[in-house]
Parts: sequence; C-alpha cells; structure tokens
Amino acid sequence: MSDDASLLLVLAALGIAGGIALLVRGFGGYRSAVRVGDTATSRISSLAAGEVRVTGTIEPAEVTITSPLQARECVWYRSEVTAGRDGTTTFKDERGVGFRIRDATGSIRVFPRGAHVDAPDRLDDKDSPLGERPPSVTVRTGSPFQTQVAGDRESEIAALLTVHVPEPVDEPFDRSERGLHYVEARLEVGDVVTVVGTAVPFGHLDDPDGADLLDRYGDPLAGLDDPEVAMNIAEAREAGILTTPEEAWGNAAIPGFGIGRPVRAPELDAAATVPVLATAAEADTITRTWDLEPDLLVLAAARDAPMLVATGAPGDVVAREEGRFLLGLLGAVLAIGAAIAGAVVLAAQ
Amino acid sequence: MNPSTGAAMFAIVLVGVVVAFLVVSTYNAVIALRNRIRKAWANIDVALKQRHDQLPNLVEAVRGVMAFEQDVLLDVTRARAAYTAADPIPRQAAVSEQTSAAVRSLFAVVERYPEIKSAANVAALQEEIARLENIIADRRELYNDQVFRYNTRIAQVPTNFLAGAFGWTPEPFFAAEETERERPAVDISPA
Repeated sequence: MSDDASLLLVLAALGIAGGIALLVRGFGGYRSAVRVGDTATSRISSLAAGEVRVTGTIEPAEVTITSPLQARECVWYRSEVTAGRDGTTTFKDERGVGFRIRDATGSIRVFPRGAHVDAPDRLDDKDSPLGERPPSVTVRTGSPFQTQVAGDRESEIAALLTVHVPEPVDEPFDRSERGLHYVEARLEVGDVVTVVGTAVPFGHLDDPDGADLLDRYGDPLAGLDDPEVAMNIAEAREAGILTTPEEAWGNAAIPGFGIGRPVRAPELDAAATVPVLATAAEADTITRTWDLEPDLLVLAAARDAPMLVATGAPGDVVAREEGRFLLGLLGAVLAIGAAIAGAVVLAAQ
Repeated sequence: MNPSTGAAMFAIVLVGVVVAFLVVSTYNAVIALRNRIRKAWANIDVALKQRHDQLPNLVEAVRGVMAFEQDVLLDVTRARAAYTAADPIPRQAAVSEQTSAAVRSLFAVVERYPEIKSAANVAALQEEIARLENIIADRRELYNDQVFRYNTRIAQVPTNFLAGAFGWTPEPFFAAEETERERPAVDISPA
C-alpha cells in the first residue's frame, strides 16, 4: 500500500472517530434541548415540589469562589490549560458552590452537587509565540473560596493602602511548558441562567453540606463517607463526646465563623488574630442565610433527574443544544463520508 | 467482506442508530410531557382544595357583621359548593373562575367594614386566601403552558406519526368553556 493510500486511510479512520464523537455529543444536546424545551417555566413564589424549570438571575448565597485563570468572583467555574500541539492537559478544575436564583416573584437556594453546567467559555486564549502569557490571564492566588460578607470600611481602606512585598505566585500549572492554551467558563453573580432541577424541602436533602458543593475532580467532603471516619464519629457520639454542636465543632459551630464574621466571640489561641464580630444586622443576615427552614423548597439534583444549569433564557439554551444536535448529525454524515472514502481507497488497492 | 459492502453497512447502521435514537427520545419526551401535565394538574388540585377548605372559615368570620351583604356571602358559598374534584377540567376551571370572582367581591366589600378588616383572624384568612388565589393563578398558567407544549409536540412532525400509533390525543386547557360559564345552581337554603 502506498504512503498516500495509508495517509488517506488514517484520515478516513479519524473522520469516522471524530464523526461518531460529534454524534454522541449531539445526542446529549438533543436530550438537553428536549428536557429544557418541554418543561414550562415555574414562578419561584408558587413553586411546587418536583421537577421544575426556573429562570432568573444568580445571587450569591453564603460564599462565592474565585476562578483560577482570571481570578474572577463566581459561583461555578470550569478551567483547563493544555500544552503543545497535541493538547496535553496540564491543569483541569471544575468547582461550584451553592447560590440563589431570583426571578420577578422571589428567590430560591440552589444546591449544585451533581449538576451539569452548560456555560460558554469566557476565556479562550493562548500564549504568544514567544511564550508570553496573554494579558487576559490573571492567575488566582490562594484559596478559591472567599467571603461574601464585606469587612468593615476602615480595615478595607487600610488593606488597600498597605504596600505588600510581591510573593512568587504558586501557579496551578507548569509554566515551563510552551504554547499554553487557556480556557475558562464561569457562572457569575448577575448572570441569567435556566435551571432544570428538582424542588425539594430543605429538610429532605440527605447531605446538605455535600449538596452545596460541586467538585468534579475531587470531593472535599468525600472523607465523610469513609467508613472509618463514620465509625469514629459513632463511637464518639456513643461515648457522649458529641453531645452539642459547640462541643463537637468548637468555634466552627458559631454562625459566620468560617467567613470571618462570627456573631459572638470565638475561643482562640492568644497569638491568633481576633476576627471582627458581626454587627447586629450582619449577625441577622448570617443566621438567616445559614439556617434554612426544613420546609423551605430548594433546588437540587435528584437521583433519577440530574440538574441542568445553563446560561441564558430557555429559548437560548434550547437553540444552543439543538445546534449541538445538528452538529452531531453533520458528524454522522462526516463518519459515513469517511467510511465511503476509506472503502474507495481499499477497493483501489 | 468487500470494502464497499462494509462502508454501506456502516452507513446503514449509523442511520439506523440515529433513527432509533430519535424514535426512542421522542416517545420518552411525550411520556414525560404527559406526566408533567398530570403533575401540574395535581398541583392545581392541591391549591383548589386548600382554598375550598379555607373559604367557610372566612365566611363564618364575617357573616355576623355583614348582615346586609348576604348576596356576596351567598355567591362565595354557592361557588364553593359547586367545587367537585372529580369534575372534568373545563368544568373545574369555570367553578374556579366563579370562586375567584366571588372572593374578589367579598374582599372588596370587607374593605367597607373597618371593624372586620382590622380583626386579626379576618386579616389572616384574607391573606391566606389571597396567597392561594395567586398560587392557583400561577399554577394554572404553568399547567396551560405544559398542555400547550404537549399539544404542539404531538401535532408536529415526526411525533404526529407516533401519536396515531400510540393514541396520543390533545389535553384540555384549564379554561372555562362558554357552556361552563353559567352560574352553578346550588341550593344552600337551610334544610
């Protein structure tokens, strides 16, 4: 077989594989389009339990997160850095936290664990040919979690006026690689989204803490499912050690402690920085947002009905998913064409 | 196998997979739509029953003071008595419309009686019934939207081919037909 024929056969095989991949992706798009398009939009104020579609604006719940490639405040991100012509992945992360959606009639808390998020890329950029990072990339420093409750004005002004010694940035990917390609999709506060999920009373959630986090590549609460941890907790409970939340969790049981605005003084090491106590209004907000009534309806994923969170109004989402399906059909045509081309090459030998 | 035959078989299989996917997905989508309609209707029914249970409390609370407004109370009581959960949907829609109109009239009359309006129990009942009225209105819109999607879907290609085979027929909207708009004749005089 000649080199040309071999090359054509390889191209035909690639065409078949690529076409089938597009078709499978298109099937997913069709299912999403049907699910979003066939469900009527509910008003949040008159929501009934069960599968619902809600469209509204994203509001922060207790905390927001910071995206790794552009350091933007958001409630969900998916970031990927690839290197070289073969697109080797050097960094990949997808993370989300609970948020609220508001429409004209009210707002509802969303617990995003297990959700499929459909959001267009907000960053798609490459290193320059000389290896310089594009100006659109601002790598995050520190933890992705940040507080939503603002500090007091004086301390914020003082922080702004303080000169900090530059510290080396601990980048999450290898900078020695050349020709990096950065892609990041986000859901930010203020974005309009359509959510198809299950409205359930908050008290019916099996694991509210876990349901509040979406971490595709490593669940930070996975340890709680560990049988050894569960056994230790059960033993401690039987021994009467875990009698009250205060005894079990210490300062962590104080509302607002984790976000730096505790509602009462925590017990700290003498050398620790004492956090500023929340004002009465802040304490009220913290208590209200952290304590959801058991009967309050929230949106979450159900075992038999995964949650879909998509950017835009329902019509936009359906159009996007249908476009994906049409692309899948083109993929089928491509695969068939590639198979015919391969057959012609083989027949000619 | 001859390469041409292999390519032809591949094409046939791939087209078959796409067609099978569309048929199965369409069937499942229509079944899901029908179930969503049933759920939307059940949610309206829950709110209608809650309103049905609350109305006598409101009528009782205002009856003594509103001695000269018996017509309004009678309208509310008559509309409430006409409610039957087993009625066809257009009939229930007509009864629901009449009940809502009677309740609006009652609220308007209550405004003229400051001593009733200021009573805590009347205010609470008014608030609860107004909340239920809003919920019924919202869920009615949701139900009708869901019915619209279903009726449109089964009339469109290619679902209309399956509709004949599986006996899918259009569902009624939650709207009163002209024949149902007449005032229900219910005798509420003391036995």
